[in-house]
Amino acid sequence: MKRNTQFAAAGAVLMAALPAFLGAYPLNVARSVMTYMALAVSWDMLLRSGQISFGIAGLFGLGSYASALLVLRAGMDPVLSLVFATFFTGAVAWILGFAVLRLRAMYFSITTLALAEIFRIILHNLHDFSGGPEGVVLPGVIFGGDAHALYWLCLGGLIITLGVSWYFERSKMHLALTAIRNDETSARSSGVDIFRFLLIAFTVTSTLQGMMGAIQVQSYGFTTPETAFDANFTLLPLAMALLGGIHSTLGPMAGAVLLGIASEWLKLKIPYGHLVVYGIIIVLVILLMPRGLVGLARKRLTGRRA
Amino acid sequence: MANKRNLTAGTVIAAVVLGILVWRPTVLIYGLQAAGLYASIAIPMGLILGIVHIVNLAHGEFMMVASYLTYMICRSTGMDPYLALVPVAAITAAFGFGIYKLTIRRALKAPELNQLILTFGLAILLTQAANLLFTSQTRKLSFDYVSASVDIGELSFGVYNFVFVALALFMVLGLRLFLARTKVGKAALAVGQNPRGAAIVGIDVDRAYALTFALASALVGMMGAVFITRSSIFPAVGSPFTMKSFCLIAMAGVGNIPGILASSVLLGVSENVLKAFRGTRDWADIVFFVLIITVILGRSIRGKKT
Repeated sequence: MKRNTQFAAAGAVLMAALPAFLGAYPLNVARSVMTYMALAVSWDMLLRSGQISFGIAGLFGLGSYASALLVLRAGMDPVLSLVFATFFTGAVAWILGFAVLRLRAMYFSITTLALAEIFRIILHNLHDFSGGPEGVVLPGVIFGGDAHALYWLCLGGLIITLGVSWYFERSKMHLALTAIRNDETSARSSGVDIFRFLLIAFTVTSTLQGMMGAIQVQSYGFTTPETAFDANFTLLPLAMALLGGIHSTLGPMAGAVLLGIASEWLKLKIPYGHLVVYGIIIVLVILLMPRGLVGLARKRLTGRRA
Repeated sequence: MANKRNLTAGTVIAAVVLGILVWRPTVLIYGLQAAGLYASIAIPMGLILGIVHIVNLAHGEFMMVASYLTYMICRSTGMDPYLALVPVAAITAAFGFGIYKLTIRRALKAPELNQLILTFGLAILLTQAANLLFTSQTRKLSFDYVSASVDIGELSFGVYNFVFVALALFMVLGLRLFLARTKVGKAALAVGQNPRGAAIVGIDVDRAYALTFALASALVGMMGAVFITRSSIFPAVGSPFTMKSFCLIAMAGVGNIPGILASSVLLGVSENVLKAFRGTRDWADIVFFVLIITVILGRSIRGKKT
């Protein structure tokens, strides 16, 4: 337990010191990997309750637009807009949660996907307010576009996400969510307030996804409905979490590092359709090792069937 | 009581339809044509969902594959798509059979999460493979008969798209005959209702699943061949239809294939009502998502009460 904390602290310091050694391009790659990692971990946090969300891109995009529009239309300070956009996404998710969390299994998944599409279409069509299909351009990038500062901002978002996920794993949230995943009826009869825990998990994960969206838009200075709600923001985190191993913090992290770096490399090799690799990975992982790399490693290390 | 409610609902629907017919006849005509298109894609998916109990998130991609296949056959041999329909249906049936045997069958016993993600992975795999082979450039085959139109009084409208209505009706009637009259169809229906019971009385469940998958793929293959006569195709052309199909099925209720026709008409007509006005044209896409969420939530709330 204590050793884990030391490892985590050492990792955070190492990551924070990284800009001193890396050039602009690797830092950019690192930021994209960190963004996807945060999304993968947050998706997994909700998955621990058995609910599969296909709406990551929707909340990510909502956070992006909230932050961009707060700066553009309300003249808010970019740093302050990050905070407001984060809580705005959380509030929207909290309200939607009352309706969406009545649903289970595929109905929940499809509804989250539909919500993401609704957000996209609304922002696409509100020409005067959101800039329509052309999107929005901010007056400037946050922190004057300083590469190191942008890196630390993204790292900050990631560390918050990992911290919350770590807390989820060690508090009674973990027990409640696992109980809901395993058997809702027996969880309810043991006195677990299912709806309350699902609402907390849904709101918190959505808030984190919105936060990463806000950070992304402030670091690039522009966005369009198609980039903010890009299906890849749903797809890649899903593939990463699966490859690494679901129902843990470590699994999605490992998956994000592997796939994130691999995709940068593949993008250079195969400009069209490098995502085919993601499809193959998802299919193979589900068929051959549903517990992912971390599950596989754990099985090897302990030498017994997990 | 229930009869009375049905009667009032029927009167309301009839009044609305009559109103639209007098006010904007093209709304109804194009609405029905769109409904035919939606239904002919949704019905094969409904067949799989009703019997194999799997949400095939790669369903639209199956159609995309069939469309590209038709494109290649027609380009190389100069054949008409309606002639190419037969070999295409045969090939996609084999393709569906292969996909079932190689992947789906291995995930049947797994939790629903794995099945959803598996077919999601297949969808990415197929889209990106098409991207890799054909690039994202759109392809089109042009025919004279597509522009056929009819004038009634001062009203002029395209009639070609009624072919989708015919195709949808053909599928519903054909499936009804197949499931009620043939031995294989009855076996499939029995497996769909209760796999364990069917296995006890000596039905080969795995074979019934494989045949259902092949049949549904053949139907969607036919649809793909007809689809290319009217629309340009590109790798992502099928993906919106996957979700639309699923939602139409969810609206109709799983296992209710004729019900898909009704929900398609509802969707097609309401979309075209919005498309009839300049101010609301851009919002036509949203109808669908709002409709799904309302229907899914409505069902879940009503389900809780009874």
